[in-house]
Amino acid sequence: MLQGALIALGFFMMLMLLLIWRGPTIWDRLLGMNMISSKLILCILLFSVLTDLSYLIDIAMVYALIGFIGTVFIALFIRQRGRI
Amino acid sequence: METRYLIGNLLIGIGLVCILFGILCFFRFRNFYARVLVASIVDTMGFLTTLVGVALRAPGVFPLLKILLLGAAILFINPITTHKIARSAYLSGYRVRQEDEPRDH
Repeated sequence: MLQGALIALGFFMMLMLLLIWRGPTIWDRLLGMNMISSKLILCILLFSVLTDLSYLIDIAMVYALIGFIGTVFIALFIRQRGRI
Repeated sequence: METRYLIGNLLIGIGLVCILFGILCFFRFRNFYARVLVASIVDTMGFLTTLVGVALRAPGVFPLLKILLLGAAILFINPITTHKIARSAYLSGYRVRQEDEPRDH
C-alpha cells in the first residue's frame, strides 16, 4: 500500500513538472514548485513510516520550513522586481 | 492487520485522490487566480488527510507527535505560501484577461 502511494506521488510530481514546464506565467511555475515541495514532504513521511526511520520526519519538517522561506522570498523578489 | 493500519491506508488513499483532483483542476483552469484557489484548498486538504493516515501508521508515540507537529506547521505554511504567491501576482499587475475566464457552453 505504502509503496503504491509512493509511486502515485512520484507520478503526481511528474505531472506537476509538466505544469511547471507549460505554465504561462512565472507565478504558475512558483505555485507548481510549492506543490511539488508539499508532495516531496509526503514522500519523505511515507518512506520514514515504511522503513521505520523516524529521524526522516525531522528532515521533512526542516524541508517544509526551508521550502516555505524560499517560496515566500522568491515571490517577494518577483514583486519588487529584483530589489529586496 | 490492525484496525488502525486499515484506517490509515484508507485515509492515505482518500488524500491521494484529493491531491489528484487538485492537479486535474490545475490542468483544467486557465485562470491563474482560480488555480491558486484550487491549489491552496485541495492540496492542503489532501496533504492533511494523508498526514493523518501516516500518523495512524506511525511506529511509536514520539514519531506520532513529530508528524502531528509537522501537520500543525503545514496547516499554517501552505495557505500563507499560496497567499504570498497570489499577492505577488496581484501587486505586480497581473490581471485576468477576458478570454482566459471559463465560458459556459
